[in-house]
Amino acid sequence: MRISDISRLAWNQVKRRKVVTGLCMAGISIGCAAVIVALSIGESAQSYAEREVNRNFKMDEITVTPYASIPSQGGGGGVGASQTSDKFDPGRLTRQKLELIKGIKHVTVAAPFQDFGNIQMSTLDNKVSDVQVIGTDLRLLMKYDNTFKQGGPSDLNGMVVLNYGATVGLIDAETRKKLSKQVESDPYNTELLEKYNRLNTLPSEIYQQQIQLQSRLNDSTSQLPQTYVSSPFRVVGILDKKGSAEIAAYGKKVYLSLENAERLAKELHLNNGTVGQEGVYNSVIVKVDSIDNIEQVEQLIKKLTLSTSTNLDQKEQIAETFDMIKNAALGIGVFILILASISIIVAMTMSTHQRRRQIGIMKVLGANMRQIRNMFITEAALLGFMGGILGVLFSYLIVLGINQLIGSALGMGEPLIIDIPFMTISVGISFAVLTGVLSGIYPAISASRTNALSAIKKD
Amino acid sequence: MLRVENITHSFKNGSELIPVLHDINFEVKQGEMVALLGSSGSGKSTLLNLMAGLMKPTDGQIYIANQDIVKMSENKISEFRRKNIGFIFQSYELITSLTVRENVELPLMFQSVAPSIRKQKALSLLESVGIPDKSDLFPSQLSGGQQQRVSIARSLITEPAIIFADEPTGNLDSITEQEIIGILLQLNKTMNTTFIIVTHEIEVAEQMQRIVTLRNGYLITEKGSSTESESEGVASIEN
Repeated sequence: MRISDISRLAWNQVKRRKVVTGLCMAGISIGCAAVIVALSIGESAQSYAEREVNRNFKMDEITVTPYASIPSQGGGGGVGASQTSDKFDPGRLTRQKLELIKGIKHVTVAAPFQDFGNIQMSTLDNKVSDVQVIGTDLRLLMKYDNTFKQGGPSDLNGMVVLNYGATVGLIDAETRKKLSKQVESDPYNTELLEKYNRLNTLPSEIYQQQIQLQSRLNDSTSQLPQTYVSSPFRVVGILDKKGSAEIAAYGKKVYLSLENAERLAKELHLNNGTVGQEGVYNSVIVKVDSIDNIEQVEQLIKKLTLSTSTNLDQKEQIAETFDMIKNAALGIGVFILILASISIIVAMTMSTHQRRRQIGIMKVLGANMRQIRNMFITEAALLGFMGGILGVLFSYLIVLGINQLIGSALGMGEPLIIDIPFMTISVGISFAVLTGVLSGIYPAISASRTNALSAIKKD
Repeated sequence: MLRVENITHSFKNGSELIPVLHDINFEVKQGEMVALLGSSGSGKSTLLNLMAGLMKPTDGQIYIANQDIVKMSENKISEFRRKNIGFIFQSYELITSLTVRENVELPLMFQSVAPSIRKQKALSLLESVGIPDKSDLFPSQLSGGQQQRVSIARSLITEPAIIFADEPTGNLDSITEQEIIGILLQLNKTMNTTFIIVTHEIEVAEQMQRIVTLRNGYLITEKGSSTESESEGVASIEN
């Protein structure tokens, strides 16, 4: 029997038996919508979480440091890093290696981020804060997903750029000391803690203001603490904050050019003036065009006898967590589909009994068991398909409702927008058709076994 | 064409066996038109169902085109029926969701015949039975006589070796009855198709070439055959 004939006969029945068709479609569409919505929420939540993590953890970046097991000039990062006089140390992170890294396929930008560790920053009105000082190419900051809230980069002598975090929580030394003491003596005073936290996230207007950096080190001869203060720097740029104000307040960074960094290292006696040595870096950040190429680029960098670190494990953790969530959601959807399939089994079995006479006539006219079975299974598959299409429409309505709910609940910022990927629609419809086919098997077998003679005997 | 040999059949009623046919023997030649006459309960419908392979006899053989249909499996008999046997029912048994033409085409659908060929054959047969203009209507839009004409066209579409008609005029008025019998006779003449027509009406039976009469499960007369077995009048059966 031709597929077109089987399909036409099945469509004929589906069209004719409106109540049965409606009941079956309703059941299947609910199950199908459950599968699609569950998978879509899982997918959207995962990509949302990945976007957020990528923004905060920068998963498309590789941090390159000198090869850890080989003593390296300027290596290890930060104040007090180990060093050697060996100029031919193969683990060093040099300008030459940086140039090689820049030439690797998929690398969009690579720049030194010379880390000087945490240093105290003070303003002219005596407000202080601990900041991380980084020497880099200021003009490349924007290529690392930074945007300037105020000003911009400058290579001129004595110019610095601050991130948003470095502009908040600046309190004068006296107030900070007093408040810290109060919090220490009364740690459970929520009002006090709130005040302390509020002050830590309070932004200060320091654009175009002067700042100074100071280090406190033990003198090599007297072994007494010695404070070194840098010459003044002017704030020529402030970066936009990333994420919430609370999160931004934790990362306080001051960026300055490599030339200024060299000057600062000397003034503050950092590593006896060796950090920021011409052409040798303790950290380079490499940005890659896609997260998918991170591993490939990382492997090539490692061949230059350098250490690398990425935040890819964060992505894997997210993927694992969301895989579990998606599987659970899919399970719920499939369970609903199984419940829905009962409606098809019942409706089709009823239909088989009502059409006993018709089946009998077909058998007398020469239809064999396989043909009768195929007709019923096609009919069930068609019901499943139609239920699936209706389910897709339902799922769009449900997702629209959920998105409006989330939008109105959050009100601002970047909300979680659930969208339905095409793949999910295919999965939903496939499940619906499969449910139809599986539900149709029993009625189809039952129909094919109908005894032609007893079916056509007059009532 | 058709040979019935020593057919005996009984129905089970609990543990009791109720005999309905006793040692039936007869033969039908190609192109013959035979009436199977008998009163209600005589066993004529049972014999028709056995000959059509819709049930298996307790004993005996039935040959159609030299093939013993008693020994065939259900699927094999379906295939055999599809190619060699046509059916005309008393209640027409048309599928209400299909059009007249689709109903006529149905047996060919089971044989995977191309739609264009099916359509051509169906229209030609509808013309033969006198309803060429009804092809796109649904059975519910036709009269009883017209529905039976559709049923006749459907039985002929596979060009079967033999057609079994179970009380084909049982639901029709006398004028329509004559029209339908006229069509069957005409088709027998033009297409040389073999017909076995079950009826309890002597008027219908008398228009056939031969009459096989059953009473209480016994074949009591064969009128019109070369080996006429009894000269008893058929009218006496009804008495």
